[in-house]
Amino acid sequence: MVPQYGIKCAVNLITTHFGDHVAKVCECLLRKGPLTLQATVRFTELTSSQVKNCLLVLIQHNCVQAFVLEQSVEHGDAAKTNTQYIALFDNIIHRWRFTKFLTIVSQNLDKQLIENKKETNFKSGKSKANSKSINQRLTLKQMSDRAKSVQNEGDDVILDAVQEAFIKLLNAHFIERCPASEPVLTNPTKQEVSARKRAAKSAKIFEEQETLEQRVMEAAAPSEALRFLLVAQAEPAADGGKDETNSSIVTPGEKRKYDSLESETEYGAADEQVVLWRANFEEFIRRLRHKACVENVKTRLDDGAVTVLKAMLEATRSTEKKVKTDNSVPLSLNSIYEEVIKSEEGRNITFDRVRAALIQLSCPPLVKAANESYSIDFKKIIELAQNEEVESIVLKRYGRDAYRMFRLLSNSGHLLETDKIADATFVEKKETPKILYKLWKDDYLQMEKLQVTGAKRLSQFLLWKVNKNILREHVLDEMFHAALNLVQRVAFELEQEKEMLNIPRDKLLIRQRKVRLLLESAHMKLDDAIMLFHDF
Amino acid sequence: MSAKRKRPGPASDSLVTEHEKTVHEVIRSKKDMGASQWEMKREINVADNIITKCIKSLLSKNLIKEVKSIQSRGRKHYMSAEFEPSSEITGGAWYVEGSLDTEYINVLKEQCWRKIYGMKVATLEGIADALRRSNVSQIELSKQQVEEIVKALVLDNQVMEVKSTGTGEFASIPVGKVCYKCIGKRGYGGEPKLGALASIPCGVCPQISRCTPDGIISPNTCAYYQKWLDF
Repeated sequence: MVPQYGIKCAVNLITTHFGDHVAKVCECLLRKGPLTLQATVRFTELTSSQVKNCLLVLIQHNCVQAFVLEQSVEHGDAAKTNTQYIALFDNIIHRWRFTKFLTIVSQNLDKQLIENKKETNFKSGKSKANSKSINQRLTLKQMSDRAKSVQNEGDDVILDAVQEAFIKLLNAHFIERCPASEPVLTNPTKQEVSARKRAAKSAKIFEEQETLEQRVMEAAAPSEALRFLLVAQAEPAADGGKDETNSSIVTPGEKRKYDSLESETEYGAADEQVVLWRANFEEFIRRLRHKACVENVKTRLDDGAVTVLKAMLEATRSTEKKVKTDNSVPLSLNSIYEEVIKSEEGRNITFDRVRAALIQLSCPPLVKAANESYSIDFKKIIELAQNEEVESIVLKRYGRDAYRMFRLLSNSGHLLETDKIADATFVEKKETPKILYKLWKDDYLQMEKLQVTGAKRLSQFLLWKVNKNILREHVLDEMFHAALNLVQRVAFELEQEKEMLNIPRDKLLIRQRKVRLLLESAHMKLDDAIMLFHDF
Repeated sequence: MSAKRKRPGPASDSLVTEHEKTVHEVIRSKKDMGASQWEMKREINVADNIITKCIKSLLSKNLIKEVKSIQSRGRKHYMSAEFEPSSEITGGAWYVEGSLDTEYINVLKEQCWRKIYGMKVATLEGIADALRRSNVSQIELSKQQVEEIVKALVLDNQVMEVKSTGTGEFASIPVGKVCYKCIGKRGYGGEPKLGALASIPCGVCPQISRCTPDGIISPNTCAYYQKWLDF
């Protein structure tokens, strides 16, 4: 479930980038779930043409995915199909992370590549107005055309550079083929649903219900074999003309079609077969997740342990099938050592040092050892980082006594009685309920009352508990709320500066720079925490 | 004429003494838990002023004593002289005069941390031995008390609880035994790393649930923001 303030952040982003109408359509889909065009028109009270254009913009920028839902067939009736549109909350929020994504590309690939990429697929800090380059779906030809339009070099030089950049980005999985424009989803039959439930019950596993969004994205996604495949002959030639010798080869991939919207976009007639590419957010989030793991370990252990962890991440990254992987693929000590000495920091590390670092990493158990193989416990590292984030809030907001109480309840995982909490945390018995009550009132704790009939009278006990799942959602919503506040304050400060006529210009500029730097860097740091709770 | 006026005599004296006896019996029956005046009133149907008189008299005769109870700090608590107050009403070793001895606890915590820091990895027995040898506490601490202090350090995030692997730094400790290590790179009393939300005004704001973009409490009107951005 998307937190309420998460939706507000998403709407704010879309408003800033695309205006009120597009934001209205987006908000409608976020709040009401997937809708048909007609339903969207009805709820937004915009015209059909306006809604279509808004949807096109949102689809082009990967914020909405169209899909066809096939209704169940009964009694020989023809299957009913209708096109619906689902908002992709995560992709919308990624829009404020482009600087981070660019940094990843720059750290992993060369500088020249970054210059090309900035002008094509990603937003540049200087080209805010160039909204077309933000998070779009583009063909290779379009990337080349845009590069030509901003660089003052010969066409061939630019085209070669773009091709080279494109291939590097593709090999690193930073870009991928766009998903299908309107995948078809069938509702599972009653028998299929019961069979699935029976299987889950007998296996005694908790099968997390796949959300509709997950099903849509799964159905839309190209197969793994095609996802990062560039079939050179099938791409329209970079010089804009068709490659006549291979015109008969059907592009393995998507046929761009907007049949249901009857689009007249710049992407040509519905029949043209082109491959569209877009940024692969999954890879960026994976890299950021790894970065967060490294940062967390840095605060606990020495450089040797950090170098070993980085090497393990590097060696196993390409084998990860999904972002929220619990454990990395197991590696032997030899494989880890070979990877460590490849890196600059690890060049001089000895085999014994690597072994010692792995022992360090096992306490707390950030790396698990089994059968002489080692794997990173991502789930544990992320959980520790989440706990630290929440505990930091409790410490700053409610004080040290509350911090100890919260940690006691969080670590124990079950209900504890007030006096027991007072004893364990060395807080006066009379003060303890007041502190616990404050935490409970702000939804950081759950409380239960227990009435016990004694010899002569009824005694009431209060029991307290931390429910981590509920708390995680609550804290995430607070984070989105704070993020929205930061964004709003930046806008407010810009407005205020227009009215500060009595302050000398140079002082105003200095203040403006400091304020923006503080607010924007706080926003990016907070976004790291949001990813910790939502994306990792 | 003399028969009409009641004069204090032997009959009235024995009545007061009877009440004293009853009150004393009630207090004695509570053994090391003692009783407050309020509790006595509930058990014996005697006027408040008589109970007060009895208590005063029993105190002066050293048959009962006043004790501090952490459960009823506002009310006076009485106990028969032959009993020592139980830990339930004194609060245990960590309480003095009905209040937590915070200073003593803090000294013990710091000393405990320093012992663990010096040993790198320490078992409870090791910590208790080290404390005993250094005479940190005038009163001998039981193993349970040392454990309570160490667990409080865990809650403070100064120390972490781990299980011995029997190798490396745990070489001298049996496999599986619970032991303790100091956390991270900060000294005693150092605060844990500040989280992202906690480092901005919203993270510590008690009004965040009432803050809305256009409300009376909003980021535009926020006094905490104003202070934060006041260069």
